[in-house]
Amino acid sequence: MSKVREQDLTFGDSLPDPTPDARHWVIYTMKREAAPYKWAGYVDAPDASLALQFAREHYGLDEACIGIIAHEHKDASDGVYSLDPLKPGNAAGDDGDSWTVFTLEKRGGNHQSAGTVNAPDAKIAIERATAAFAGPKVRSIRVVPTARIHETTESELIIWRTHDMNYKLAKGYAKDVRAKWSRFRDEKTYEQYRKDDIAKHF
Amino acid sequence: MSGAANPVSPPDITITCDPDKLAEFEQRIADGVLIEPGDWMPDSYRALMLRMAEHHANSEIVGALPEGEWITRAPSMLRKLALIAKVQDEVGHGQMLYRVSQELGKSRDDMLRDLITGKTKYHNCFNYPCPTWGDIAMIQWLIDGAAIMNQKTLADGAYGPYVRTMNRINMEEAFHFKSGEDMVLTLMGGTKGQQIMAQDAFDRWWPIALMFFGPADKPNAEELPAMKWRMKTERNDSLRQRYVNRFAPAAMDMGLVIHVCEKDAAGLVTSKRPDEAIALDEDTGNWSFTQPDWDEFWRVIRGNGPCNAHRVALRRLSYEQGAWVRRAIGTGAVATPPAA
Repeated sequence: MSKVREQDLTFGDSLPDPTPDARHWVIYTMKREAAPYKWAGYVDAPDASLALQFAREHYGLDEACIGIIAHEHKDASDGVYSLDPLKPGNAAGDDGDSWTVFTLEKRGGNHQSAGTVNAPDAKIAIERATAAFAGPKVRSIRVVPTARIHETTESELIIWRTHDMNYKLAKGYAKDVRAKWSRFRDEKTYEQYRKDDIAKHF
Repeated sequence: MSGAANPVSPPDITITCDPDKLAEFEQRIADGVLIEPGDWMPDSYRALMLRMAEHHANSEIVGALPEGEWITRAPSMLRKLALIAKVQDEVGHGQMLYRVSQELGKSRDDMLRDLITGKTKYHNCFNYPCPTWGDIAMIQWLIDGAAIMNQKTLADGAYGPYVRTMNRINMEEAFHFKSGEDMVLTLMGGTKGQQIMAQDAFDRWWPIALMFFGPADKPNAEELPAMKWRMKTERNDSLRQRYVNRFAPAAMDMGLVIHVCEKDAAGLVTSKRPDEAIALDEDTGNWSFTQPDWDEFWRVIRGNGPCNAHRVALRRLSYEQGAWVRRAIGTGAVATPPAA
């Protein structure tokens, strides 16, 4: 056991002064070429560089992806979360800065990138994005200034793919588990167990 | 891993809000509509959801401690890599769940301070010792298995940010469970010594796994906020039965024996006898079993478990030693590490 865990841990009466929460980043990953970026999760980090590094560690290792983007949570503006699909409306125009648009197809689902619009502010960006991207499924629109979105480079991602990382995927154990179970259960019984595992119990 | 967002003894909830808005809110939930952060919600819903997500987040980061202790002692490079990845996942789950909690109105610093001062809890199962590698195998097989089962029901809940986080977490938990199953199979297919190690660890963790889902719900649970508002979607006893149906036959097929055990204050088994209640009811498809020691459950949850003090002390050590880093990051101010 490491030394730190063996030491007698005693503390003073008071805690250190409170510390501020770190900057909060929203992470999206792209699974394959030309696919949208989809919401993956969050990280807290002091700047964009570290946010992307943390995201590569946490989200880039869990499933193969070819790109990761991040933006600060405060830079996102969400439109209404509608119960029904959004109606496109008739907002038009092309003035202003670029905003990246994310759509949400179901409540409780994950935002995914849809494209960009130009607009002078977030409110108009949401209106124009709704006109451009609302469809039969879209329940909500999120816009983020494109200039505030940070992206990994190809070379940053490739380094994480240079060795076999099946050990951190469930499927990486499938063959061994099957072989080991066969010492205890016959193949037919195991196959039923495997199906039940996924469909019934988990 | 923890998943058991079933904090016991929920606070008495007094719902004081616009009755029309409350009716509309409850109808939405009854219709299966998910609640998103911008939606109107009763204050009591926000408070309960925060309590649940915070408890879950606390459990993830405390849950990483017993397994983290074994990284340096993993029996092979592959197991070490997998364990590092798993511990990293668990802390990442804590990160995501703290974020869900922050959006409900509590700062991360406040949550960490409340955890180390005992104002908030984490899951009971992390207050037990892991004296052997067999315990690590059993945690990943039995406890992560229980967590997936529980969290799959939580992913059917009604709060959108929690649901999408559960879906993400469950994907990673599948690796933890399969890794654990592989480890238990390896031990049970190994030498006599390995089998004894696995059996001893199983004896320690089987009753903890049964307690994982929490004590039986009140008879009117479906009418109380947690279930009425679909924060949880299945009764604890129902989950526990499904769990036993899944794991009891698997354990016995591997050659493990399900025992009823007595434990000492350190959480180690002092005596055991086969659980004679274990039997399959062919009519219902359910396995009967001996209930865990619920007195022990309440003792541990009140802070008197084998490892409560140590787990919280380690979290406090991290909090105190990391304060200068958080201060430097958060304020940009020059900060210095504490003296060695």
